[in-house]
Amino acid sequence: MIYDKSFDVIVVGGGHAGTEAALAAARTGASTLLITHNIETLGQMSCNPAIGGIGKGHLVKEIDALGGVMAKAIDHSGIHFRRLNASKGPAVRATRAQADRTLYKNYVRCQLENQDLLQIFQQSVDDLILQQDKVVGVVTQMGLQFNAKSVVLTAGTFLDGKIHIGLSSYSGGRAGDPPSIGLSERLRELPFNVERLKTGTPPRIDARSINFKELEPQHGDSPVPVFSFTGKASQHPQQIPCHITHTNKRTHEIISGGLDRSPMFSGIIEGVGPRYCPSIEDKITRFSERDSHQIFIEPEGLETFEVYPNGISTSLPFDVQMAFVRSIKGFENAHITRPGYAIEYDYFDPRELKASLETRHIQGLFFAGQINGTTGYEEAAAQGLIAGLNAALLVQEKESWSPSRNESYIGVMIDDLITRGTQEPYRMFTSRAEYRLILREDNADLRLSEKAHELGLLSDALWQLTATKRDLINLEIERMKSSWVQSNSPSAQKINQLLEKPLSREYSQMDLLKRPQLDYAALVEAIPGVGDGLPEPVKEQVEIQAKYAGYIDRQLDEIERNKKQQNLKIPAQLDFSKIGGLSNEIIQKLSDTRPETIGQASRISGITPAAISMLLITIKKRKIRLSGTESSDTESLSVNPKVEQS
Amino acid sequence: MTQNQSTIVALATPPGKGGVAIVRVSGPLSRDITSKILGKSLTPRQATYLPFIDRSGQQLDVGIAIFFQGPHSFTGEDVVEFQGHGGPVVMDMLMESILQCGASLARPGEFSERAFYNDKMDLTQAEAIADIIDSGSKQAAISALRSLNGEFSNKVHLLVEKVVQLRIFVEAAIDFPEEEIDFLADDNVVSQLTDIIQDLAELMRNAQQGSLLREGMKVVIAGKPNAGKSSLLNALSGKQSAIVTDIAGTTRDVLTEQISIDGLPLHIIDTAGLRKAKDKVEQIGIERATREIEQADRVLLVVDAAEEKIEDVEQTLSKLLDSDISLPPVTQIRNKCDLTGELPDVCESENLVTVTMSASELTGLDLLKQHLKRVIGYNASESGVFMARRRHIDALTRASEHLDTGYAQLTGMAAGEILAEELKLTQNCLNEITGEFTSDDLLGKIFSSFCIGK
Ligand SMILES: Cc1cc2nc3c(=O)[nH]c(=O)nc-3n(C[C@H](O)[C@H](O)[C@H](O)COP(=O)(O)OP(=O)(O)OC[C@H]3O[C@@H](n4cnc5c(N)ncnc54)[C@H](O)[C@@H]3O)c2cc1C
Ligand SMILES: Nc1nc2c(ncn2[C@@H]2O[C@H](COP(=O)(O)OP(=O)(O)OP(=O)(O)O)[C@@H](O)[C@H]2O)c(=O)[nH]1
Ligand SMILES: [Mg+2]
Repeated sequence: MIYDKSFDVIVVGGGHAGTEAALAAARTGASTLLITHNIETLGQMSCNPAIGGIGKGHLVKEIDALGGVMAKAIDHSGIHFRRLNASKGPAVRATRAQADRTLYKNYVRCQLENQDLLQIFQQSVDDLILQQDKVVGVVTQMGLQFNAKSVVLTAGTFLDGKIHIGLSSYSGGRAGDPPSIGLSERLRELPFNVERLKTGTPPRIDARSINFKELEPQHGDSPVPVFSFTGKASQHPQQIPCHITHTNKRTHEIISGGLDRSPMFSGIIEGVGPRYCPSIEDKITRFSERDSHQIFIEPEGLETFEVYPNGISTSLPFDVQMAFVRSIKGFENAHITRPGYAIEYDYFDPRELKASLETRHIQGLFFAGQINGTTGYEEAAAQGLIAGLNAALLVQEKESWSPSRNESYIGVMIDDLITRGTQEPYRMFTSRAEYRLILREDNADLRLSEKAHELGLLSDALWQLTATKRDLINLEIERMKSSWVQSNSPSAQKINQLLEKPLSREYSQMDLLKRPQLDYAALVEAIPGVGDGLPEPVKEQVEIQAKYAGYIDRQLDEIERNKKQQNLKIPAQLDFSKIGGLSNEIIQKLSDTRPETIGQASRISGITPAAISMLLITIKKRKIRLSGTESSDTESLSVNPKVEQS
Repeated sequence: MTQNQSTIVALATPPGKGGVAIVRVSGPLSRDITSKILGKSLTPRQATYLPFIDRSGQQLDVGIAIFFQGPHSFTGEDVVEFQGHGGPVVMDMLMESILQCGASLARPGEFSERAFYNDKMDLTQAEAIADIIDSGSKQAAISALRSLNGEFSNKVHLLVEKVVQLRIFVEAAIDFPEEEIDFLADDNVVSQLTDIIQDLAELMRNAQQGSLLREGMKVVIAGKPNAGKSSLLNALSGKQSAIVTDIAGTTRDVLTEQISIDGLPLHIIDTAGLRKAKDKVEQIGIERATREIEQADRVLLVVDAAEEKIEDVEQTLSKLLDSDISLPPVTQIRNKCDLTGELPDVCESENLVTVTMSASELTGLDLLKQHLKRVIGYNASESGVFMARRRHIDALTRASEHLDTGYAQLTGMAAGEILAEELKLTQNCLNEITGEFTSDDLLGKIFSSFCIGK
């Protein structure tokens, strides 16, 4: 049966990628259908109930700046908020929160149900409908056919998912959910490069069986952080503490004793797991000199007794899990509610994607989330938003858009994926961003909201808030640059108390703010009128821009200098093997990855500056030739003079 | 298309007669640099004869400067050319001053590349550029590698390793703040940083005291006994420094003479004739010769013109040395051409350069000097050994500035992310020397060094 309505965009999968994709497509005006296994699991957190963290918090703020739902959802469901790296500089500070799983899921579902142009359908998608190399719809498990102009696939860990606990294994998408086997088989018939990855999760424990008296509590930060630029701490539900405990020698002995029945160590699991999320059995073997590892005990929600012991992800047999958990302080009588497990699943080599996340092989088909080799809710959501947006733009026959490395972490992630691919589940870290001092949590709105508004992702009202903030910041910076403090003024006397050497001449307020000993608050204190009527976020931005001034200028300078070249498009028909002077290895790499721009090409490993120069010359020559009159063999791109002259 | 807005500088021509050389600058800072070096601005397209001065106001040279305003210039950007007489060392000091004004050293072929992008060249001319870039960058890589042999290279590599080691701590502190160790609070970081700063300072002292650039390049004369090696040394230095006899095995130790070709400083080193020696003294002499060859920028392999022409010089030399050390580029000298009646000549093919000459009659000596100047001084001006070394010193200077700022940030403000930034920039500078730009898997190193992650 063919469904009677045809859609612009179909999103397959209602996880973090799928929900942002569906919302983004619908926001930009595309009629959208979200098909997922189970409406009850829309927005479900498969693993730990937490959002944010270093690098990930940055992604969440960017999603918010682009009109996404994740930041708002966690603001309405977070039960423990922290600001990481608070003692370090603003660029690397990041927000993290524990979520009440149910509240989180409910919030996301509510947004989906209230989104115009978006419909939801519960079924498993088993097949894609293709016309030549173009996708035109999907078929569900019961044979129902939906037609659409573009399809976003966000199947998460479900494609041929295999769950391991000890030496036994079974098919599943995650604990309690079915796998997606039909679709996996179908996709393997298409020209994609499919590999396997692995991830794992710890056992959950009944809090009533834990002795918290012995354990060190960890409270959320005060003032309580928020995620969304329009969020308020008052949106947060009740806040509760986490606790910390540790593994010990005995724990490690028990684990070592069970390694012979570990699916990882016995070679049953082939997929590669994330090195930064090692299982506990991995930690004790690789770092055998340590006799204790930290465990954060994180509540799963306000209305449940289940807790998530963060730090003991494992796929050991259940009897070993039980024994080692009970050897840990506070867990002596622990009751495990759900066993820990590892899961293996399909992912596609992301080097086969364009920056828009459309696949290079099949027009109109977009991939987002875990299936692109990433891990994490934030990484998935960010990709989902970009894929959903571009699926809609494609239908509307508009140019695709994907943020660049120098304006967002989302851009860093997508660029890393499509130019370098990944061999292990990819997680965001700030060290992946070369423009780290510019890409901060605090300015994600200033970086992205204007574009989001232009694309239809952000409402006029929300953009207006950011525009006003931006104007106030610029005005205040200009004012401070031209407001002077005389060395003998009463203001200077107050300021001198904070300095090692008193001011010897007049300084602009901006120059004073650049000094390490002074902050904006100090100037407010010392100079009458400063900061009057300005909102806190504006003051914060002015201060950060003063503190990082030299670095921001240098990075902006570099970005500006490289901009033209970075964004220069490489013609899709260009035959790299015809460019003289490129080594076979470089030709191979360029042909495999097919970079869309010079910038992407330059980041493929092994591509030399000389090769980039040759590419640039070739492109320019091609332009001259194409605009020239007599040229008949426009495709002959050789720069080898011998060939040309013959 | 203007490719980018940086300003580049390079020696545009090697010194000609009387040591006149041209330093060319292109880019937006050209005008600014003109007035800084000359103390005044110039009327476009007018050659002016005046002194060149450095930052401290000292006169470097007196010469001709011409300013070309873009787009009416070779590259289409603002260009200034300085023609000086002072020879390579003085021209290098001039370049250093220009670098201090914010210019950067041009990559091989970069001037032509810019000309092309700015529509200053037609398609046919452009065909050649790709070749220049290609061969130029290979040549530059080879030059850099050569001048990197030995101790200097080891030290730079060690330094890079230390910087990476420190970055592992700093980046881990930033990306993994919830671990039980605070990497930054560790005194370790300050002491590692201090250590690196000291190492770099020492490296710079050595580099600048001349052993690298100002003191000149090493040319080693090698060959079988009686080929005329000592005669060649005497011919080049213009004095009778080495003993010449018709007894094979006359020279037994290394002997060095300093010479200058149009201001290009060179060390010419005479060595013992290579053969299976029974004599203990001669054996040691040959060992020393081998060591000199290993560290040379160029070898002159002297052969008797009466012998058959050598096709594979490297192989011949390796055989003579009876060891497989890595060889610098080799020039074949067919000596004693007065006896065979051949005419003096330089013959350069892709992998073999042969100079035919007579060391005793001094014929062909000029050809040899011109050849040396070209291959060692600044042939393909942006890729010779000379430029390679200028690049090294420039990179070291910038690395050291970044380290100093990083130190101030760490100790003054505990600003980890700024230290991280400065360390990254430091490593980029050092990578310019080693030529290893591949992204070093810093995260990978973090995961293998620390037990991290939940
Ligand atoms: C055991 C486990 C451990 C993990 N550990 C970590 C960790 O330590 N750290 C971390 O950052 N992340 C971890 N994750 C990953 C995190 O859960 C994912 O990164 C994130 O959920 C990916 O989002 P997604 O939208 O791509 O996919 P998912 O959240 O997996 O959502 C996929 C959605 O698609 C639906 N679906 C799939 N196939 C079909 C189909 N054919 N038809 C219809 N609907 C379909 C599913 O029902 C589901 O709703 C773990 C996940 C699991 C399962
Ligand atoms: N005719 C002629 N004789 C030369 C020439 N160069 C060197 N000789 C002679 O060749 C002999 C050897 O010259 P040396 O310069 O001592 O040779 P060498 O290579 O240093 O020899 P060893 O030090 O013994 O290895 C001397 O008798 C020189 O006079 C030349 O160009 N022409
Ligand atoms: Mg001799």
